[in-house]
Amino acid sequence: MLSSIAKPFAALALAAALISIVLAALGASPIGVFAALGEGAFGSWYACADTIVKSTPLVFTGLAVSLAFSGALWNIGADGQLTIGAIAAGAIGPHLGNFPHAIAIAIILAAGALGGAVWGAVAGWLRARRDVNEVISTIMLNFVAVQALSWVVHGPLMEPSRAYPTSSPIARAAQLEFYFAPSRINLGMILAVALAAACYLLLFRTGAGFELRAMGRNRRAATFFAIRIPALTLWVMALSGALAGLGGAVQISAISHRLYEKLSPGWGFEAIAVALVARLNPLGIIPAAILFGALDNGSQAMQRTQGVSPELVQVIQGLVILIILAFDTPAWSGLRENIFGAPHDAAAAAPLAEMPDA
Amino acid sequence: MLRANAITRRFGRTLALDAVDFEALPGEIHALVGENGAGKTTLMNVLAGSLAADHGEAVLDGRRLQSGSPRAALAAGIAAVHQSPMLFERMTWEENLALGGFDTGAGALDLDAVAARARSLAAKLGFEMPPAGATVENRSVAERVRLEVLRALSFNPRVLILDEPTSVLAPSELAAFLDLLRSLRADGRIVVMITHKLAEAIAVADRITVLRRGRVVARTTPADTSEAQLAGLMIGEIVTQPAASAAPPPSGAPVLLIENLTLDDRTGRRILDRLSFRVAAGEIVGIAGVDGNGQTELVEVLAGVRRPSSGKVTLHGGSSGAMAVIPQNRDLDGLILDMRLWENLILARPLREQVTSHGWLNVSRAIDLCRQLIDRFRIRAPGPETLAGALSGGNRQRLEVARAIASRPRVIVAHNICRGLDLAATADVHRAILDFASAPSGGAAVLISSDLDELLAICGRLLIISRGKIRETSPGQRDPERLGLLMAGARD
Repeated sequence: MLSSIAKPFAALALAAALISIVLAALGASPIGVFAALGEGAFGSWYACADTIVKSTPLVFTGLAVSLAFSGALWNIGADGQLTIGAIAAGAIGPHLGNFPHAIAIAIILAAGALGGAVWGAVAGWLRARRDVNEVISTIMLNFVAVQALSWVVHGPLMEPSRAYPTSSPIARAAQLEFYFAPSRINLGMILAVALAAACYLLLFRTGAGFELRAMGRNRRAATFFAIRIPALTLWVMALSGALAGLGGAVQISAISHRLYEKLSPGWGFEAIAVALVARLNPLGIIPAAILFGALDNGSQAMQRTQGVSPELVQVIQGLVILIILAFDTPAWSGLRENIFGAPHDAAAAAPLAEMPDA
Repeated sequence: MLRANAITRRFGRTLALDAVDFEALPGEIHALVGENGAGKTTLMNVLAGSLAADHGEAVLDGRRLQSGSPRAALAAGIAAVHQSPMLFERMTWEENLALGGFDTGAGALDLDAVAARARSLAAKLGFEMPPAGATVENRSVAERVRLEVLRALSFNPRVLILDEPTSVLAPSELAAFLDLLRSLRADGRIVVMITHKLAEAIAVADRITVLRRGRVVARTTPADTSEAQLAGLMIGEIVTQPAASAAPPPSGAPVLLIENLTLDDRTGRRILDRLSFRVAAGEIVGIAGVDGNGQTELVEVLAGVRRPSSGKVTLHGGSSGAMAVIPQNRDLDGLILDMRLWENLILARPLREQVTSHGWLNVSRAIDLCRQLIDRFRIRAPGPETLAGALSGGNRQRLEVARAIASRPRVIVAHNICRGLDLAATADVHRAILDFASAPSGGAAVLISSDLDELLAICGRLLIISRGKIRETSPGQRDPERLGLLMAGARD
């Protein structure tokens, strides 16, 4: 529907208007700042390429979040799952020197996906078998993952000279190459786009995806129709974790080549915003991730030329999300109702409005 | 005096209310009758302020009510009890009532005071409250209705509007409830009762207003009309009740055999008590009972949502797809309101399997199937892509019945299948069940209901459920009064 595409842009415009007021109050020129932001994100071939590279992890984690959220499984743990995936990739990566390139890539990515899947499955199992709320378990597992990363780069995986808290670099064979050097465009984004299409097909064109969406919309009805909720919960959380973990492995393989502390600047959390802006539609994840990647990327140029703090971009991101969510409320539904004659008594509220039952 | 002047309200392309005039006087019970989708509930929502009218106004005692403000309506003295319970399931009944007008304390919440006021009001009205601290989720439907009425009354309203309040009540509870309405009338209040049960309207109302398709088609009094005439006014044609299949069923092998089914809840309370019965092919068996005697749990066990403590359910001739269950709470358990009709259809596993191959969902086949069923079962809907929530209650139920029958089960188990439905929808649903049972393939149906008339109309055999136990009635036993006593727990 047109409105679902136009909405994020309208929200963006409104956020820009609000931020202009802030900028003007700070004595900066709003137009100059936005021009620098756009220039930094899309101003050159290199800038565009870097925006793509910065968006890539957000596509993986955004897909992870949207898949879980579609089943009303509130996976807040994409960051931890990505981290564990990265640890798995960073641990196996240095030992892949004797493999052909394609095999080494397959192994390192599979390791990342497996690591993330295990981390997601832990939360899935806790929910399915012990009825532990996944919001709590995934948040807790994030902390564990961050500390695990810190431990391995100071301990078992620390590079041989033991001078820096990083792991040994992964073998060349396991590194995703840059297609258009010096830009860092690599296979990662192509893989991410393919996975977005796959997730779309899974959700909307398969029986399993239908069961997942049914569970997300009405858990009780799903039980009445013999949808096996515990099994589905476990598998979806594992799959969600695998997507996030794969994102971590891609980051190791293509960009960072080694593990270090604070590897993720919060991709797993930004992913929640990405998924919400995309309204959980896997195909919408790509533009939504690029939007956030562009804001990240452009913020550096903004700081350089306009002397505005890059943190301001986080303010813009926050405003965009808030405004999109605000646009989702009855005012919009009412407009839609008048145009399309939609339900008047259904609790047709967006799934975003539903909070997990504590 | 409560007046509605030329109220019009539109939903998208549907005209729900078309310049409706309505009037109710102090000290009267005014019945508002009509089919599902006639606009009764919309009118109530406009009067109670939960919906704004497009045109027209509501006036109470000469003062115009602010449109679309429940708070203003309540302040003016209009309280409403909605058809679908608006209770907080996981809170206690005292906490639910504290949200009403009982809690007058400034700031601090005094639940004991709330409970005391509720009990004294309940005593005046002639019923008892649940034990202290009981959560709503474990109470029967009848108790919930009383809680809602009590919560509405806690505001001491001038006007009480009730939407289908009796649809969930058993015959034994009905008389007490109607007395409650009469005592409210005696206080000089205005009572507006929305109903499709014409006998009740005639029994209790002082005046009756009939709505059809958003218009008032008649204003009358019980003395001047009859059930048959009202039915004719409501639907524009006389629908005859389908004849009961009075002949004893073919005594073939049982399709469904239930042996010593027992269920204890977490606290060890016995919900189902060594329950046994059998259903043969081609048979429609009714299970009559007052709500809260184990029916919901029985349905949940049969649907596989709950595991019984002991006992056996045997289904001859089939796998898990051989039984289709239609749960009573169609909006919560049976349908996903914000999914499309075709998606709701393929919730049923046999239908889902029919439109998936190797895991892939064939969406266009599902839509075709849905379109066929919409035609065959006369579901009034724009098309398969409509959201289930956009359908009226009767059409939602037609969809559920269509889904159950299209799944080609050996047995259909349906719980309160016609609750809240109008005559036309009820007749449609009954006809579909009768056709299912009389088809050459010989389907069997188990109808669980608290509506004795409904069961007597279409069931060949009648069982009574009371306190989790099931008893067979003698084949000739058709006396509603006697059966009512059995439902209340009397020995045969």
